Amino acid sequence: MSTLRMRLRAAGAAAAIGLKDKLAYRINFGGTMLTYALFVFVFSRIWASSLGDSSIAGYNYSMMVWYFIVAEIPLFALGRFFWTLSRDMKSGQVAYQLSRPYDFVAYQFWERIGSALPDLLILMLEGLLIGLLLTGGFPPALAAVGPPDIAAASTGLAGTAAAATGVAAWLRLLFVPLSLLLSGIVNFYLQFALSMTAFWLEENEAFFWIFQKIALVVGTLLPIEFLPEAAQRIVVWTPFPYIAYAPARIMTAFELSGALRLIAGQLLWAVIGLALARLVFRAGSRKIAVNGG
Amino acid sequence: MSVIQVQQLSKQFRTRVSSQQKTAWLTKLFRPQYRSIDAVKQVSFSVEEGEVVAFLGPNGAGKSTTIKMLTGILQPSGGSSTVLGFDPAKQRRQLAWQIGSVFGQRSQLWFHLPPADSFRLLGAIYELEPSVLARRTAELVERFALQDYFDVAVRKLSLGQRIRCEIAASLLHKPRLLFLDEPTIGLDVVARREIRSLLSELNSVEKVTVFITSHDMGDIAKVCKRAIIIHHGEVVVDESMKDLKHRALAKKYVGVRYQEPVQFSTGGLQPLKATDRSASFEIDTRQHSLPELVRRLSGLGELEDITIEDEPLENVIADIYAARSEQAARNVTAGGRAKDAAAKSAGSGKEAAGADNGRTTGSGESQAAGGLS
Repeated sequence: MSTLRMRLRAAGAAAAIGLKDKLAYRINFGGTMLTYALFVFVFSRIWASSLGDSSIAGYNYSMMVWYFIVAEIPLFALGRFFWTLSRDMKSGQVAYQLSRPYDFVAYQFWERIGSALPDLLILMLEGLLIGLLLTGGFPPALAAVGPPDIAAASTGLAGTAAAATGVAAWLRLLFVPLSLLLSGIVNFYLQFALSMTAFWLEENEAFFWIFQKIALVVGTLLPIEFLPEAAQRIVVWTPFPYIAYAPARIMTAFELSGALRLIAGQLLWAVIGLALARLVFRAGSRKIAVNGG
Repeated sequence: MSVIQVQQLSKQFRTRVSSQQKTAWLTKLFRPQYRSIDAVKQVSFSVEEGEVVAFLGPNGAGKSTTIKMLTGILQPSGGSSTVLGFDPAKQRRQLAWQIGSVFGQRSQLWFHLPPADSFRLLGAIYELEPSVLARRTAELVERFALQDYFDVAVRKLSLGQRIRCEIAASLLHKPRLLFLDEPTIGLDVVARREIRSLLSELNSVEKVTVFITSHDMGDIAKVCKRAIIIHHGEVVVDESMKDLKHRALAKKYVGVRYQEPVQFSTGGLQPLKATDRSASFEIDTRQHSLPELVRRLSGLGELEDITIEDEPLENVIADIYAARSEQAARNVTAGGRAKDAAAKSAGSGKEAAGADNGRTTGSGESQAAGGLS
């Protein structure tokens, strides 16, 4: 077999074992699904009472619910890489992982993505179901109706608009999972880089708390459009909009060029994240002090 | 051919120290204080192909640190090492193809999945062709007798079963050199014996060089042909098992039991422990004649039983550890009380080493028990 095929097989095996391990204790899915549903429901009530029939920054109630449904998925399904990585570092398990001939960063990536996949799929389906129940339909595509006048579209005004909405719905079904996957990749590399600071520091959780809190405010709980304009201008240069905001925005207000722009941004940050992860790992593995015995 | 060559290898760790003063949190924040610890100090040795070498030392002696430097996980602070022709510090990944390692206190198997899954993953990682992997797995499953639990989740296995799987897994890619860091820790007598015979078999069948750290003297005596002892980061003994055992031959333990009560105090005999009918003696054969002792003992009364035993290897090694601890202590005080310390060394030193083994070999009583058993 060629080297490339061998590498792909190793990547596949890593993803497969991560997935199998996740499926080995299925009871956890119940917990994740329940918390997710609870979160979405509570926030949908908040938006229902605060928005009513009005809208803020172009988001009405239905859009806000869909936004929240998608934006929470990176947090619930793809937001825990840091903990498992840090745990392996602190327990000294990394001693085994470092004595393998593989590319450490790549191996970790495939294994963790594999283990995140079941959560991602389940929450996407659950989110779809909850969203339909709460809002009674998909949010309209911006291309068809133009923001933020949604009322016209829901009454089904023109044939062309309806057709465009149909196409947009299909594209959206393609783009949202893709964007979520990319969000997981960006999230992984950034959290990997953060967790590798354990090579230098005994306790590095503070970094992650800060990272997570910023991610929560920027894009997860609130769309970027809700931020003051000055803040918006700053955050577009950070990776945070490309974690939760990108897939959620594509879902709530689909528009082809906007979606492509967001996907491109995610790709860019995936590459930057990968470079950063490799850099931190290379520097850190020279400083390593493996805990215990 | 040398498989491992180590020259003047050193490792220093820098740890943060916090003072006991009330303002410690403040000084810690602005002026952290560090203390450097020499975990490994200029260690040199070499291991030849096909050898089974025991790497011994009390806890904290630097054994694991050395292994981690030899596998490329830790960067040395000084000195150099060559493992299978590679420099582990710079060629960790190239080296990884040819070595296997088992850390007894950690696991390379997936806890919630059967060993079969972990083997499949390792096969892919070491880029074994599927057919090769299948053949090799079958071979190892048979040799290590894993058939019954190869598809049972690792969390349901006993420690002995798990360690068998761990060692088998580390051999999947046919490494030329195997590092075992305390492979029998926590195992019961039967499981230990099985692992030992597997290791011996492995060495003769697969021709793999084995570098093993252990606190279990049984492992060492049965499996290894050579022992390197390090203490406080320095090599203190590097000799064949035969020579090491020879040290044990100088001291004998003699146990006697009589049919009727006898007086041991007559004739200048000093038993380690005595009842009215039995006693045990320790004798240094370089100074006293063993036949002479036996003659005198049989003259005391009608013997019911007599046992003569070598000093257990455990005690020999404990003595070596203790001697080094004393020497280190002397170097620190640097006073003219060397004589004093030497006189005490036998007692206090053994206590320290005994504690390390989790047993009390320190007192005369347990030695006597060894002699009588």
